[in-house]
Amino acid sequence: MRMVGMLLAIVVLSTAQAADIEGSVVITRKLTKRKVTAPASSYERGMAVELAPGADEDPLVFERERVVIYLEGQFSSSPITATLEQKNRRFIPETLVVPVGSTVSFPNLDPVFHNVFSLSKPKSFDLGNYAKDHSRTVTFPKPGIVFVHCHLHPNMAAAIVVSPNQWSTKADAAGRFAISGAPSGSYTIVAWHKSAGFFRQAVHLTENRAAAVEFVIPVEEATALARR
Amino acid sequence: MRFATRTFLFSFVPFAFLLMGSFWTIQKLVESTVRNGLRSSLRQTHDSIARVRSKSELQNSRFLRVVGENASLKAGLQLLLLERKSGAARLTVEDQLRDICNMLRFDFLLVSDPDGAALAGVMRIGDQLVAMDIAKVPPPQRGFVTVGPRAYQVASTPIDQGDENLGILSVGEHFDFSEFSTPAVLARNGEVLESSIPGVPFGEVASALKGCKAQSECEVRLRGETYISLPMESIYFGDGYVLRSLQSVDSASGPVQAILRNVFLIAGIGALLAAMILSVLSSRSIVRPIAEVVSYLCASEKTGLLPEFHAKLTPIYEIHELAESFNRAAAAIRDARESLHRAYVEFVGSLASALDARDRYTAGHSSRVSEYSCAIARDISVNDKDLDDIRIGALLHDVGKIGIADCVLQKPGALSREEMDLIQQHPTIGRRILEGVHGFHAYLPAVELHHENSDGSGYPLVSGVIFRMHSACMQPAGILLTTGWAFSFGSLTGQSFLIFGPR
Repeated sequence: MRMVGMLLAIVVLSTAQAADIEGSVVITRKLTKRKVTAPASSYERGMAVELAPGADEDPLVFERERVVIYLEGQFSSSPITATLEQKNRRFIPETLVVPVGSTVSFPNLDPVFHNVFSLSKPKSFDLGNYAKDHSRTVTFPKPGIVFVHCHLHPNMAAAIVVSPNQWSTKADAAGRFAISGAPSGSYTIVAWHKSAGFFRQAVHLTENRAAAVEFVIPVEEATALARR
Repeated sequence: MRFATRTFLFSFVPFAFLLMGSFWTIQKLVESTVRNGLRSSLRQTHDSIARVRSKSELQNSRFLRVVGENASLKAGLQLLLLERKSGAARLTVEDQLRDICNMLRFDFLLVSDPDGAALAGVMRIGDQLVAMDIAKVPPPQRGFVTVGPRAYQVASTPIDQGDENLGILSVGEHFDFSEFSTPAVLARNGEVLESSIPGVPFGEVASALKGCKAQSECEVRLRGETYISLPMESIYFGDGYVLRSLQSVDSASGPVQAILRNVFLIAGIGALLAAMILSVLSSRSIVRPIAEVVSYLCASEKTGLLPEFHAKLTPIYEIHELAESFNRAAAAIRDARESLHRAYVEFVGSLASALDARDRYTAGHSSRVSEYSCAIARDISVNDKDLDDIRIGALLHDVGKIGIADCVLQKPGALSREEMDLIQQHPTIGRRILEGVHGFHAYLPAVELHHENSDGSGYPLVSGVIFRMHSACMQPAGILLTTGWAFSFGSLTGQSFLIFGPR
């Protein structure tokens, strides 16, 4: 049954015209309990380390930038090579979205060792200890959410969203996002936030007309807003 | 030295010394009590600190076990054990230790290999957590560790991975004296590492503590103040480390001693004054009876008499005994004197009898004159002593006739003028004879003046001589004997006069 659906989608995509999606993510409140890790360089300089977010930082910007949006469905994928840096004892970026089959490199830019690993179902790996200016690569053949950690630094965490196809993106600081070139048709568009989880909407894409999508996260606030 | 002074000094000086000794002893006792109290207080403080510490050590040991199970730290330690010479590996572990320090507010965190060799560590200096120079850090397990100028209290826990021991995690906190309510000093091998004595440099504290044995109580002088120093023995601080708490004896005993000084000053002055007054009174009480005896004796010396003391002269037994002894001795002397006097009198009587015997006409004359003189004297109530003088004087009144030749004295018939002149010299001769005899002075007037009359006639007419009672008694007696006249005495203002006429 699933195979039939996939074949149908391939047929539709091969015959349909490209369409765009323009949307926004509305996050009504802070979702992540952040634990800020001091950069190793701070310690090296012997400075006092502030272990709290900056006062001028908008917490909702932080949340919006960590929302990944992608279309559900197994389409043809264009694997890419991405980089997840380890710098200042943090993964940069903390949320990475790559199409299935992509390869991610994990360069260590810190003066300390890192030991990157994941126990997630789509891809589990342990890159071992490696020092500064060394790198390891991992290919992600299956879609899904892969949580990445460092054995040596428990505060380091990142999420790699391996999307099932190439139509995926991240919201910007304002919460806007755009997916272009998707084939026309009806789809399920998914927004994922590490703390809030998955949010799905049906979207119909037509040629030469950008579909507008809005995600209100978390969902209870979305319901409340809809009722107004 | 007068007896009164001696008595006063013997009463007062020992009391003064006793008083000062008592005050000194009381002060020392108070000081000793205060010291014991301080020792007890310090020991109680030590015990309570030890109890709290043992409890917190137990909790810390459990807590440390949890910290030792930190997976990241284990991974880091494994990395460091594999990459011992890698600076990055050490930095990695130091970062981990910093995180733990920040999270748990430790001041000192160190990982060592299973053999105790330090691998990486951080310590808090001010607000910063800086990496340790592990080459200089002694391998700590428990107790104190000195890193640079700082002392840390350290506890350790093993870091195990399964059955394998990866190393040791040592956790330390900067040592301070917050638990001590009294000044305290942490020293290692005589060097003072920490001290909570305000304003006294460590070097000065170290030199003051130099005389103290490692684990024994001692007294130290700091800035002119005396402290009792007690080592904390119930807790192990590591080799060479000694934690001493100090308590100022002067501060503790000062207020008490100030009160005591005031009390002693007031009580001492009062007691000394009282002692002085009592000593004076007792001295007088002791000396007065003796002084009375002495004055009595002095008076006796002046009169030449040996009177008896009154039986109730003093209630003091010894003085009473002394007076009684004196009385007995005086009585014996008086008896002896009287015996001697009687012997004299008898001798004189014999002499007078011998004189009388030279002349049959005057045989028994002296005895009779004496007898009649005494009768007259008694009649006019002459006292006993004068009566005695009259009696003896009358016996001796003609002793001067010794110097008169028998041819004149015993001449029958009338005497010539020259012979009469010789006869009339016998009172003067008698006086000269008796003048040289001790104790006969009282009889001289009777001898010399017995031929002088109250009207100024007679012989030898001693110029200015008052007509004495002896002669006044003897002359009528003699006249009576020779003429048979009767006479009687009159008395006017104590002076005796004779009124006599023919019988």
